[in-house]
This record gives sequence, structure tokens and C-alpha cells, in this order.
Amino acid sequence: MNIIIIGASAAGLTCLDTLVRFSPESDITIVSEEPYVPYCRCLLTYYLGGTLKEQQMVIRDTTSYPANTHFLLGERVEKIDTVRKSAVLSSGKEIIYDKLLIAIGSNPVKPKYYDEKKKTFTLRYMDDAKKIEPHLRSRAIVLGGGFVGIKAVAGLTERNIGVTVVIGSRYPLSMIADEETSRFVEKDLKGMGVDIRTGEDIADIKEGNGSLRVSLSSGFELDSDVIIVGKGVKPRLDLAKQAGIKTDMGITVNEFLETSAEGVYAAGDCCQTMDIARNTIWVNAIWPVAIEQGYCAALNMLGAQAPYPGSVGMNSLKTRAFHLIVAGVLKAGEGVSIFEKYMPSTNQFRKLAIRNNVPVGMAFYNNPEDAGVIINLIKKGTPLNVDPAKIVSNELSMMDILKPL
Amino acid sequence: MKVVVVKPERCVGCLQCRFACSVAHSVSESQFTAPYETIVSKPRIHIGLTNGKEPFPNKCRHCNPAPCEMACITRAIFRDEATGIVLINPERCINCGMCAMACPFGVIRYHFFVDRRTSAHKCDQCFRRQKEGKIPACVEVCKVGALVFEEYNKDMDKATDQMASLVYLGIREKEHEKSPYPTLLVHKNILQEIKRR
Repeated sequence: MNIIIIGASAAGLTCLDTLVRFSPESDITIVSEEPYVPYCRCLLTYYLGGTLKEQQMVIRDTTSYPANTHFLLGERVEKIDTVRKSAVLSSGKEIIYDKLLIAIGSNPVKPKYYDEKKKTFTLRYMDDAKKIEPHLRSRAIVLGGGFVGIKAVAGLTERNIGVTVVIGSRYPLSMIADEETSRFVEKDLKGMGVDIRTGEDIADIKEGNGSLRVSLSSGFELDSDVIIVGKGVKPRLDLAKQAGIKTDMGITVNEFLETSAEGVYAAGDCCQTMDIARNTIWVNAIWPVAIEQGYCAALNMLGAQAPYPGSVGMNSLKTRAFHLIVAGVLKAGEGVSIFEKYMPSTNQFRKLAIRNNVPVGMAFYNNPEDAGVIINLIKKGTPLNVDPAKIVSNELSMMDILKPL
Repeated sequence: MKVVVVKPERCVGCLQCRFACSVAHSVSESQFTAPYETIVSKPRIHIGLTNGKEPFPNKCRHCNPAPCEMACITRAIFRDEATGIVLINPERCINCGMCAMACPFGVIRYHFFVDRRTSAHKCDQCFRRQKEGKIPACVEVCKVGALVFEEYNKDMDKATDQMASLVYLGIREKEHEKSPYPTLLVHKNILQEIKRR
């Protein structure tokens, strides 16, 4: 069987590994736009912070794969022909496939004042990080209080760079956490010496002698060496659209992760699936979900008919000062009850959102140990057999939940 | 291949396994000097009390596929091919917390491993001791047979592995009212089918 995988990141590589494991006789071609050996995108902020070197970010050894696995690094797939079942590469070569995986991920959202000449960069690819790095001196502005933004802040503070975070909404992490949890993040970030400006946007960027003069929408002006934009990501749909594959927010897939074209699968940030906690179709553009989908897509390519059960958005954010794990939905809504408790002596905070006795969201602040147990319940939709108020107050150990399992 | 099997109904909660575990993972490997080392070695087995105050030993199950291994973004968590033990390379670990988020059993902790450098810690099934021909420390000291070192029995571990892989894939054990997805049983057959090929 001829298999083409487009994209060599989380979903693509997991798919590759699974295929190599279960179907060693298949001929697999993996195409990546980036010329680098497969590396982990989540580590870019650590690279900026100087904690990791480029070679420490490599996650696969391309030479360790069998001979019928071909890595085409630095090449683009220009076109997919779903009738002839072929993919045209940027070099002009055409490859025939039996099964194809689209795992091209997402692109960062670029604001209107995005201009690399004015030292405004997004942070998504290795090239972005390499462009940012020479500009890092003493002051930086991070735009956007999402995960990439806060992680970039944490990375830059490791390097003793003074950071100002400009956040459009009232509090950081507004897309993934609730206000209360985010306030703890805000407080501890301020404690780390980070300047946080909420409800603001960049109005104008002027270039002065060597540094940037940035004015915010409230009229406040400040200097910076570089601006890092973390305004979220958007699924890349151009390739699918042009091939006539149905798209919505992301590429639409059925429960076997197959797109509207036969033999073409999609996984990772570019595809939309059922969100278990939200109970709607959603794009969860995160690393663990991409891995699950890559694994599941590989099984289905081999004809296993393994349905993908849906994703849960979850994230772990660790800095010098705090460690936050959030998953699912935390905002109170219809039929959702919230349990929470703050323990000032240890600066720990636990929050649990429950719908019909099934956990749908959680936030554990400075309390990472038991998070996996609760996320497991969210993923499986298992009802709680204990009092949720006791979980958040840490009165009972996770053993009560684990034991019956 | 032998594995540590936990029999929670036998556990009396004496916590000797915790002490032995810390000693076995300390630098000096001596119970007299281990508590006085600069970085005090921490146990990798956790005894929790359930609501009815029954002790429950909880340690890494070395699942296959391991959710922590798949979630690890730096590939610090890896599987030793010969023994099947899931290990952590502290040098590569960046403490992102992904493994704690992925582990369905909640056995991962973060401690110092050298001066001011933190790494994820979990049971390594006494990898070092096993190389010397010894059995894992927790098993050696367990007086009541709650921890035993037994030959890997497929039936016995199946439940763990299945749970781990199903957790990983997020398969629901009971059909949800509106869930369009098939039950656990269907998925088991799928996985078996693939393995048979």
C-alpha cells in the first residue's frame, strides 16, 4: 500500500509510527514543508528562553526508519488529485497514493499591523523562532494572552528579558480557562515581574533608533525590541479546499477521520472533530489531540474501523512560579455546576465543572499530580462516584476514583 | 518478563515500600545515609487512603501504549524495548507537565534530580537493581504480599493496558445516551484484529 502523509509534526509522525508498527510492508512517504528534522513545536518557547538548543528539540531520528519510509523534508504538496489519487509536489513530482493523511496543522492568526520589517513576528515555526532570537535584547512585547503568549512570557523571563503582555480581553487565558483561574495566573505572572495590560491592543508601531516605539489603544507608549504575536491559530484549509474536500471550521471528517474524499484522512490541528466536553464540533488545536488523531487515523487507514471518540481540550502550563493544568470547559452554563476551592497556604486552587454528575472541565493550579485522573474521567464521560466538593478541597485522595476502575 | 503486581486487598498501609523505594533511588542506596543527602530521594510509589480508610498502593503500571510516553513532547519518556519498562530521561525532561496531564493513574510527580533542576519522577521498576539481579525494592520489603514480582501474565495486565489504551483513545466504557461511538467491546476487537495481522 502506498501511503502519503502531509505534515511531519504530532499527527503525521504518530501516524507514521503506528503504520510502521502495524503495517511494515507499506510504502510510506512523509512530506514536510520545513527543511528541519522533525522537531516539537511546543518547545519553541523554551528555545527562545534559551533552555533548549535546536538539537534538543528533535523528536524523531529519520535514519532509524525502515527503507520503505521516505522523508521528503523541505517539499510542499501543491495539489491533491482525489480522482487520480495522486499528490503533486513542489518539485513537480507526482506520487500515487492509496491512502493519504492531511496533517498540515494550522497557521497563526496575523493581526493587521503584522509586519516582519517592524520586528513583529508570530511564533509557530522554527523559522519564526530563528527570526525572533537575534532581536531579543532586554525588552519584549508579547501580544495575546493565550497559551503561546504566556509560554513565550515564561520563556523570555528565563532569559531576564522584561516582558509586557498586551491582552485584548479582560484576563489572560480567556479562551481556555475561566476568569477566576486566570486571575491566579495573572497574579503570579505579575509576581514574576511581568507587566500585564489587559483590555488593550496595539494601535501603532514606530521604528526608532534600534528599538520599537509602540503605542497602545489606551494611549500608553512603551519601547520594545521585538513584538511576539500569539493571537491563536487557524486551520490550514487551502490544500483541502482546492482538492474539493469539504471544510467548515476545519476539514470535516467522519468518525473514522476520513474526509469527504475516499482514502483521504485528516488529523491534527487542521481537522474538526467532536469535542466531548463541549458536546459540539470543535477544533482542538493541541499536541495531545493531534497525537490521538494521528494514531486513530493510522488504524483506520489499515482498515481497522476504529472510531475516533472525540477530543478534549487540555493544556499544561508550567513556569517558575506556577503550574496550571486545565481541561474541558470551565464556564458555568446550562446544567453545569462548579466546585472550587482555594488553599492559600500552598497557593493551590482546584476547580471542577460537572454536568449530570460527569466532569466536563477542570483546572488544577499548582496541583498537577491528580489532574490526569480527572481528565481521564472527562475523556471517558464516567460519572463521579464521590462528592466533587471533597475532590476540590483535597479531602480525599484520588484512590477513591481509581479503585473501582 | 517480570512485573510488579499490586494486590490492594492485602495492603495494610505500613509505608515500608515508600521508604525502600526512596532508598533504592538515592545516591548512596543506604537507608542510613539516604535521608541526609542534599537532594533527598523521593518515593515513586504512593499509598493513598480511600474513603473507607483502606490503603491503596498506586504506582506506574508501565502501560502499553503508555499515555505519558505519547504525550511527552520532548521524548524524555521512552520504553526500554528489552524489558518493556517505561523510563524517564531526566536530562531531556523540561517539566512541561504533559505527562501528569496524560497519566490516568496519577503517578507522576515532579522533584529535583540534581541541584535546582526538576524532572518528572515515576516508578522505573527498579531498573538499576534489576540489572544487578535484584528484585524491585518495594517488593523486597513488602511483608504482606501486597506487592509481588511475577512473571508477566497477559490476562492479568490486559485490563491495565486496555484501560490505558482506551483512556488514551478516550473510549467510553458505557454507551453514552447520545454518543454515536461503539462500545468498549467493539474497540477491543479492533485492537486484537490489528495485532493478529
